[in-house]
Amino acid sequence: MSPQRKQQVDTRVVVETPEGADFEFVIAGPGTRAVAWLLDEIIQVSVLLALLIVSMFLWPFGEAGVGLGIGGMMIAKFLLDWFYFGLFEAFWNGQTPGKRSVGLRVVRSNGTPVDASSAIGRNFLRAADMLPFFYTIGMISMLMTRRLQRLGDLIFDTMVIDERREWISRSGGLTANIEALQRGECLRRFSVPERTLAVIERLFETDRIISEARREEISRPLSEALRGRLGYVDPPPDPRNPHVYFRSQGLRHTQFILRVLKTFADNPQGIKPVTNAQRRQRRSMSKSVAVRQVADETDDLEMADILDEGPTEQVRARRES
Amino acid sequence: MNRERFIRERRSDWQRFEGLVSQLREKRQRTWASRDVADLSRLYRSICYDLSLVQSREWGARLEQYLNDLVAQGHNALYRSAPTSLSMVWDFFAFEFPRTFRRHRRAFFLALALFLIPFLVSTYVGSQRPDLAEMIAGKEALESARAGFSEELYTEMDSRYAGERSLMAGFYVRNNTGIAFQAYALGAFVGLGTCYTLLSNGISIGMVNGYIVSAGYPTTENFFSFVISHGSFELTAIVIAGGGGFVLAQGLLFPGQRTRMDALRYHGLESLKLALGAGAMLGIAAMLEGYFSPLPIAPAVKYVVGTCLWLLVIFYLSFCGRGGSAHED
Repeated sequence: MSPQRKQQVDTRVVVETPEGADFEFVIAGPGTRAVAWLLDEIIQVSVLLALLIVSMFLWPFGEAGVGLGIGGMMIAKFLLDWFYFGLFEAFWNGQTPGKRSVGLRVVRSNGTPVDASSAIGRNFLRAADMLPFFYTIGMISMLMTRRLQRLGDLIFDTMVIDERREWISRSGGLTANIEALQRGECLRRFSVPERTLAVIERLFETDRIISEARREEISRPLSEALRGRLGYVDPPPDPRNPHVYFRSQGLRHTQFILRVLKTFADNPQGIKPVTNAQRRQRRSMSKSVAVRQVADETDDLEMADILDEGPTEQVRARRES
Repeated sequence: MNRERFIRERRSDWQRFEGLVSQLREKRQRTWASRDVADLSRLYRSICYDLSLVQSREWGARLEQYLNDLVAQGHNALYRSAPTSLSMVWDFFAFEFPRTFRRHRRAFFLALALFLIPFLVSTYVGSQRPDLAEMIAGKEALESARAGFSEELYTEMDSRYAGERSLMAGFYVRNNTGIAFQAYALGAFVGLGTCYTLLSNGISIGMVNGYIVSAGYPTTENFFSFVISHGSFELTAIVIAGGGGFVLAQGLLFPGQRTRMDALRYHGLESLKLALGAGAMLGIAAMLEGYFSPLPIAPAVKYVVGTCLWLLVIFYLSFCGRGGSAHED
């Protein structure tokens, strides 16, 4: 690991792929791992109960049957205790049923998939980690290591990663509480070129420090141009609840372009690949419609220029005065 | 190329990749179409390139995050560890396990000493001073053990025999193998847990042994003819598992020429082999102890078979996997 590596302040770990790209894993915390563990324990108990019911069918065969049933149960308990986690992780690419349902995965600490022997070994050491009760030792070890590893993870060079964040969409948490635009709210065409969306995203990058007011100021020309393009008109204030309207007026342009981002960048139809049916449909479209669509996709609002222009007229005027 | 043009040009690939991964994720790997796999790996490589481009030009945390997640998904879909096969199991028992055992024979002899010395001492104490043994190991347990061996366990092989023996075989698997694996895993506490397990088992087994020796003729013969056969696998395996625990501790305490992380990993895998081999031996021992050892046959037969089994175990561990093979150690 190179010394100039950035200091890590959260539970991410950077790993280099064989393709030469660096990418990040999020390490799973003890809480999620405990949930996965609990689910796995429940599954094991259910398996034992199911076996108990099956072994009852042996009871009518007299003493030999009863003994075989109980002996079999003991072997099953032993196998579940020592091999349930290990074999699932070995054959399900680092996941047990519990881990899969919570979205966790065991990988080697260089990010490559866990191999069978490491998977079995790290789970053998549960016997040490769970001492003296409820994984106390494992918990202490997790607190002391950067990758939140328990003893089994440390010795077999594995870590548990949280994969739930994988499916964030392009605009991510930005548009979490934002309502998408409805087709009916817009009187003109219902599309925004990709380039404009990229500009909007850029305005909200976390690595830029912009005050809300400044962002609103920058958003205004963008928002106005987009309103014109989409044919969107703000609804009038609700007479029964007017302060909501007036309170939202302060950041109305920021809000609007976020709605645009949500509507067009998160479009679930946009995430799916273009199907053959769609391709055929597009081909069979009349020429004028096809031309119109191409125009839609390339017709930019030159928003990049707006952003790069520097301070707006208001700011300039203020500075001059 | 500026950022906006980059996004515009590459976005269709990203979306195709997202779609492909979620599509393939539903299916089992064996049923993936070869065209999909080819597409996936091509798109994956190009997205890796996109990610490094975005990182080096600092084109924004959000875009980087998005591509990062795409790469993570592709990485998981494409990279798996090599599948394990049945021939590996054969290789393990025919070559790998006895070789690993010999590589770490010093750890084995340490474990043997920690088990054998308290065993012999407490056997002596138990046979000379049964009252002392009763104090240490508990009177009821010892007396029920002696009573159990005072006459032959079974006189015929009936339904009671089959039932009780199946039950006991299951119990031996769970109990003895559990003890062995525990002795191994507790090696993670710099070997102290392994020491404890070996010492306490040596003492308690020795006490029973000595106590029964003190009981005299018919009991001793029933006992020794019962123990000799499965003892070969059982006692050896428990000591091997303990040796595995010490190998684990060796990685923690004495990394040698390796970095400590490398030493941990190397010794971890080596010791795991010992534990798994010991587990298999204990499985054999449990079946012997369950079904063969208590057979109602002449003790002489059991002595002969038992001696052969001891020789088999010793021969297997000292000579198997030596000499000409592709997998040399």
